[in-house]
Amino acid sequence: MSKRPTIVLLPGLLCDASMWDAQRKALEPYADVRIGDFSQLDSIEAMARSALALADGPLVAIGHSMGARVAMEMVRLAPERITKLVLIDTGIDPRRDGEQEKRRELVDLAFAEGMEALADTWLPPMVHLERVADEALLAPLKDMVLRASPEQHQRQIKALLDRPNARLGLAQIACPTLVMVGRQDRWSPLAQHEEMAALIPEAELVVIEDSGHMSLVEQPEQVSQALLRFLGFGNKNDDTHGVATGREEPMDEEAAPDRIPDTPLFDRKRSLRGYRINKMAMGLGDPANREAFKQDESAYLDRFGLTSEEKDAVMTRNWQEMVRLGGNLFFILKISAVDPVRITEIGAHQAGMEHADFLRDRLGKK
Amino acid sequence: MAKLIGGLGTSHVPSIGAALDKGLRDTPDWKAFFDGYIPGQEWVKRHKPDVAVVIFNDHGNTFFLDKVPTFAVGCAEEYRPVDEGWGPRAIAPFKGEVDFSWHFIDTLVENRFDPMICQEIEVDHGLQVPMELFWGKPDAWPVKVVPIFVNVIQYPIPLPSRCYEMGRVLRKAIESYDSDERFVILGTGGLSHQLQGARAGFVNPEADQAFLNDIADNPDKLAGMSREQYVEMFGSEGAELMMWLVMRGAMDPDVVVRHKHYFVPASMTGAGMIVMENRADAASAAAA
Repeated sequence: MSKRPTIVLLPGLLCDASMWDAQRKALEPYADVRIGDFSQLDSIEAMARSALALADGPLVAIGHSMGARVAMEMVRLAPERITKLVLIDTGIDPRRDGEQEKRRELVDLAFAEGMEALADTWLPPMVHLERVADEALLAPLKDMVLRASPEQHQRQIKALLDRPNARLGLAQIACPTLVMVGRQDRWSPLAQHEEMAALIPEAELVVIEDSGHMSLVEQPEQVSQALLRFLGFGNKNDDTHGVATGREEPMDEEAAPDRIPDTPLFDRKRSLRGYRINKMAMGLGDPANREAFKQDESAYLDRFGLTSEEKDAVMTRNWQEMVRLGGNLFFILKISAVDPVRITEIGAHQAGMEHADFLRDRLGKK
Repeated sequence: MAKLIGGLGTSHVPSIGAALDKGLRDTPDWKAFFDGYIPGQEWVKRHKPDVAVVIFNDHGNTFFLDKVPTFAVGCAEEYRPVDEGWGPRAIAPFKGEVDFSWHFIDTLVENRFDPMICQEIEVDHGLQVPMELFWGKPDAWPVKVVPIFVNVIQYPIPLPSRCYEMGRVLRKAIESYDSDERFVILGTGGLSHQLQGARAGFVNPEADQAFLNDIADNPDKLAGMSREQYVEMFGSEGAELMMWLVMRGAMDPDVVVRHKHYFVPASMTGAGMIVMENRADAASAAAA
């Protein structure tokens, strides 16, 4: 008789066990389910240690939002104990510029005007744009926020602001990993999860349709079904009824060398990989977008959901890297219409040559 | 019935248009390139075609990756230059030969080619530059156009042999078109160049020269090559050359070359031009 596995469910900021009701019910027939409580803690590491202490032996760690950051920290602290990992609606980067100020405003708001004011400000952007007035969805979320205190919020915000850079550890995650995200998650977008799935060696990505950041409660059935399938439980509804919609193969440019040396053909994989960069560049065919790019390049790039890696490549005009990330010259060339550079310089950069050498040795210019 | 009077081939490098816009025609980088086109321009002046069928590819200006037609045919009244990032160029809009476009689309479908049908579409340097190279920059174009867009960017791109076969259908369409208009066909793109990857800047003048010979004398060989061979021989963007096969497939097996020109590098490209007539026509013209 095989032992039932242990699953720990890890809630996000201001969230408690109620967030996991549907998933807990779905998983309990197959596993011992424990739910983390991070209301008293103020660091991601402390949260991870408390979750590891919920049981002995091997664990499946399933985290949502901040809880997923806790799950990644658990892998860092005790990689031998985590058998499977699920990361839902989350992120990997450390604190962003300006984040601290925005978070602090909410902390102050909670102290000054109470948790209800915080709930009314904080919750709507967390759900699908079309459901911000959906009382059946919002009322239980609001009740949950009201169960928390300004002090809990302040502690958890401190944990988030001081969060580790999880990006660095992704390549070391050795267990099978499911990355999941609501397609309309405005807080932690799909692109970010595509990148995570690409960086984690054994990851698959599932997109939850018609869902914002609170996918656990916005689309409980889709999330539960994806978990059951990933964990090999129940074996029902396989590949049906709106489950596991966005499954994609992990990207691995290095795995398949160019058939013709140093000649990247714009195939399915590259086209998919470079879609955001190319779409952003295509936008520069519009004068208003060119102006927006000139005014605030970073904000313009954000409009197209570029990952930080993609943004860096564009903002440093690293043509070689843009092409490696799936950029196609015909699209990204439009950047040179806004910030002029000769095409031969772009060529030389990719060839790794000085411009003069490139003109002479490749193009036969005297 | 309509009459095919010639097949033209040319590069469509965007820098050619930019060089004209900036008045660089007679600078050392460009003079020899442009001078080589003078015989082609004179041929056009002498033969006064009414319609130019232009086979080219869009370069991420009109089509994005959300929808990529393998073959698309324009059937618009007018084709305006698209903004490629530098603002639309000051070029007169091109007038469409709408009736023929629809007739061609009918003929394509009847012959098992199923193109995307475009009633409203802008055109990039792929069409503009060849028109300027042969007709100059008139206030109004003395010739109507029929654009054929071929996807040579997003893989899978079509087979070279398929382009050649499309040319045969184009010929059928011209021969069955009830009109006394005189047609030329422009195959555009190439020659060797590569813009992406560490092999960027690759040009292959020997292969280009051989191509300019083979397109006239040995097109079957060019149609039989794989896409990979094109990329290997002419560079990743040099695979555009397969579009010349649409033009060549519409002509007789036996052609005479009226003019030919090769220049390298035009920007980062081996650039070439050819003017061909069916030998049967050339012979009857001589007899008359």
